[in-house]
Amino acid sequence: MIQREEAPAVSAVPRKRGRAIVVTSGKGGVGKTTTTANTGAALAATGATVVLVDADVGLRNLDIVMGLEARVRHHVLDVLEGKATLEDALVTDKRVPALRLLAAAQTRDKDDVDTLAFRDLISSLRERFDYVLIDCPAGIEKGFANAIAGADEAIIVCTPEVSAVRDADRVVGLLGDERTIKLIVNRLRPSMVRRGKMLSVDDVNAILRLPLLGVITDAPDVIISTNRGEPVALDAASPVGASYREIAQRIIGTLTTPPVVPRDQSFLEKLFGSRS
Amino acid sequence: MSARRIVLTSGKGGVGKTTTTANLGAVLAKRGHRVVLVDADIGLRNLDLVLGVEKRIVFDIVEVVEGRCQLRQALIKDKRLENLSILPAAQTRDKTAISELQMADVVTQLGELCDYVLIDCPAGIEHGFRNAIAGASEAIVVTTPEVSAIRDADRVIGKLHERGLPVRLIVNRLRPEMVRSGDMLSVEDVTDILSAELLGIIPEDEEVIDTTNKGEPIVLQAESRLAAIYDKIARRLEGDLVPFTTLRAPGFFGRLFGKAS
Repeated sequence: MIQREEAPAVSAVPRKRGRAIVVTSGKGGVGKTTTTANTGAALAATGATVVLVDADVGLRNLDIVMGLEARVRHHVLDVLEGKATLEDALVTDKRVPALRLLAAAQTRDKDDVDTLAFRDLISSLRERFDYVLIDCPAGIEKGFANAIAGADEAIIVCTPEVSAVRDADRVVGLLGDERTIKLIVNRLRPSMVRRGKMLSVDDVNAILRLPLLGVITDAPDVIISTNRGEPVALDAASPVGASYREIAQRIIGTLTTPPVVPRDQSFLEKLFGSRS
Repeated sequence: MSARRIVLTSGKGGVGKTTTTANLGAVLAKRGHRVVLVDADIGLRNLDLVLGVEKRIVFDIVEVVEGRCQLRQALIKDKRLENLSILPAAQTRDKTAISELQMADVVTQLGELCDYVLIDCPAGIEHGFRNAIAGASEAIVVTTPEVSAIRDADRVIGKLHERGLPVRLIVNRLRPEMVRSGDMLSVEDVTDILSAELLGIIPEDEEVIDTTNKGEPIVLQAESRLAAIYDKIARRLEGDLVPFTTLRAPGFFGRLFGKAS
């Protein structure tokens, strides 16, 4: 007589694997961490499960930008070294329950992270979350190699500055052909573009030639929200927040129109009203 | 007398290390000192762009270290300021192409040729950081009035103190109107948190974006208010006691951090 096999506790059908997206730039200070926090918050606000991974071991900041620094008990290296379970290390966001943070170690170095172990960690996070967003450190050293190891998609954050574009171009080269790469142009000041004092989005993308995921204007409310640990993406009244929510929709695929590049009205347009 | 060898570092990227290196170097040169700027950001060099010399690079620091050229051959003389030279980083190599000892040796040799060696450090605290501080005898930490920049600066200052390097602080991109409205940390908040002597306060100025893109350090525009501010910083470096124009604001973030230190 053939004995019936016991039903497995977990569905035998493999869960759909989540997407692992690294947010990177080469140059520091262009807004990687802010972009990670806001894109993650906007994705989670749609109901998707999201984990944000801070790969900047030694110089972590994602916890501050999320306003979760007081809740961090364990970090990535604790998990990799078996000192804490993943469950213990994941910090639940105080506003959006579908959003988790995995903090970086602050008192350790990037060289302490084994790239293959980090890649495996990202892989196991993809089994549990719809989106794994990895906040990459500046530069192209070990921390960069760790951060990109488990990601098959990348978001390049670039400001309209010659130096940021040059660094981004180098990073695009290092990411290789096997990753999907998209671009967010950050901190655009339309009035400066109009006066010829700043590169335009077209100028930036004439060099980088990447699909445009979003354009974020330079607004003081981003600095304020970052300092306060409250992602602007969750502020329904903020235009910059709306830009992040659109970015989330483009990542999900529910929004297929390209980003509208904000432009400054000229003096005459302000007087007579814009025709565009 | 041997040269002052000063590394400009920050931990966090994008706070203005390269712009500050270029402008401080230019203003020191204008004041009659012989200055060499070293780009330590191998693989992601930018100091050449900010100074507008990117098309004149023939050799770089890695080629110097590998003995493919003489140190003097790799130095690019600025066309506007005859006292100012730059030693560019390599763009297609990575930070491990140079060891700390090799870097220290290059900086020492440069010290024989000039009065000030300013070293533009890459972001982060990895190999590139260790290289950049290897040959330095003092440090300038550049920070912005943002919580994340200050946390990173704090970590870097700890590492600089471990090395016994004297540290002074430049607070960059201050927006006085945001400080007044309580939306930005004040200089006082920043210096309360970071234990380092204040060297300068530089206000946010959108002209800097444009001059940086054009490769013209803003201090070369004599009428720019930043030219006067950098001149004061240079005088403080020389040892003058130059008073600060203070900005005060209600300490929203000061309360957040506490004033324990």
